[in-house]
Amino acid sequence: MQHMAQLSLGQEQSQGAAVEVRGLGHIYAGRDGAVPALTDIDLNVPAGRFVVIVGPSGCGKTSLLMMLAGLRTQTSGTILVDGRSIATPDPSRVGVVFQEASLYPWLTAVENVEFPLVLKNAPRDERRARAEAMLNLVGLSGFGGRYPHELSGGMKQRVSIARGLVQDPPVLLMDEPFAALDEQTRMTMGHELLRIWSQTSKTVVFITHSLTEAVYLADEVIVMSARPGRILDRVPIDLPRPRTYQMMATDVFGALRERIWHQIRDVP
Amino acid sequence: MSTAAVILIRIALLAAFLGAWEFLPRTGIVNPMLLPPLSLVIETLGDILGRGDFREAMLVTTAEVLVAFIIAVPLGGAIGVLAAEHAYFGAIFRPMLFYVFSIPKSIFLPMFILAFGIGFEQKVAYATFSTIFIVIMSASAAVESVKADYVLVAQSYGATRAQILRRIYIPSMMPILLETLRISMIFNFTGVMIAEMYASRTGVGHMIANWGENFMLPQLFAGVVVLAVAAMSFNELVRYMEARCSTWRS
Repeated sequence: MQHMAQLSLGQEQSQGAAVEVRGLGHIYAGRDGAVPALTDIDLNVPAGRFVVIVGPSGCGKTSLLMMLAGLRTQTSGTILVDGRSIATPDPSRVGVVFQEASLYPWLTAVENVEFPLVLKNAPRDERRARAEAMLNLVGLSGFGGRYPHELSGGMKQRVSIARGLVQDPPVLLMDEPFAALDEQTRMTMGHELLRIWSQTSKTVVFITHSLTEAVYLADEVIVMSARPGRILDRVPIDLPRPRTYQMMATDVFGALRERIWHQIRDVP
Repeated sequence: MSTAAVILIRIALLAAFLGAWEFLPRTGIVNPMLLPPLSLVIETLGDILGRGDFREAMLVTTAEVLVAFIIAVPLGGAIGVLAAEHAYFGAIFRPMLFYVFSIPKSIFLPMFILAFGIGFEQKVAYATFSTIFIVIMSASAAVESVKADYVLVAQSYGATRAQILRRIYIPSMMPILLETLRISMIFNFTGVMIAEMYASRTGVGHMIANWGENFMLPQLFAGVVVLAVAAMSFNELVRYMEARCSTWRS
């Protein structure tokens, strides 16, 4: 009986959650011995959700994202992506969009987008068509032949997003993708990202320092503490979709932002 | 200033230079024994290019330069990559390499003569020695120019080590590697010339040194023209390749 219960519980979790983290901890070997970076991280991101992680610098947000991407191995706990554990990078399940300047400057925009498919030895015509379709999705059709230095900061991040989506992974991880952009471009890109997200129905885990960006984008904001990183709060954002810039001026938006800010600012 | 104007001025300067070379010795403003007029040098150039001993000397020099290049570039490249990639090797040898790099290599020439004689091997050994340090330095710089982010992105898309080498390291380092080829050829050529002029029985450097000692200035200048053309041709060839490989560099 107990066995059955466990089994059904397991099924339920793997069906509902695109990303599931249980009891995750990470300790790294620092100069003065072992430094705990992350403790007791539990995270359940249902498929199609947009989850934003905020927290002070050095709280281990990026480490967590690296582990979700299979680029770093946790010390303890389990990570399931799309129902299966992830130990090494698996681009068919997870696409990653990094901070600025992660495009290859010697490749054109379309070559950057098709790069993951080149690694898979996909046929040229097929990967080119797929990359062009992705550029189209992010609003860059006609810019495929440009080199990164010929593109603006916002356009570069559009290319990065297209590259993250090119293998059609169910989960997209984004590590402060718009941090280097000016405020206006950043707002536009946030809006564009929501459009792309609603068209592709991906599960997104997004890291940012900007609380406004967090509330504007998220279904749920995860607030993390300073080192060792723990989850302090999970703030559901029940603002209606599609989100509009006007919502930022509402009391509800302000109250949500305030609730997050209160928890982060107390951290020394 | 427009490109056309720049080119016109360059041509004008070149014409003025060549004209002065012809005119100043002819009128005796410059001693023609020290600077033979251009027309005489060109005439002599035709003569020496037809001479068997000069052609043989060119072959010997070319062989020395090529063999030294073929040894110094891959070897220096490998050491440079190791120094940049391998933490312990780098920590131990990099300071030493930097110190030795700063010493003028020509002061070691007598040692090379004692060890290798004055033949082909000595020219190759000395030219390799005088070239390899710049290759090591440049190769290290090339490896360090590959950003960690580039590798991380490739890893996140499941790239294997071989794929990272081929798709990230090689294209990322290519502009610096080509620059290295160009600069190492300058060092290499200089090394062979110095060794040939210092002590040798053959080679273009040896013939030029001889002509100088015997006051055969038209021949000397003709030899200089041949070497200059060869050096500049190689330089331009690599620069052309650089330009083609670096369109992405802003």
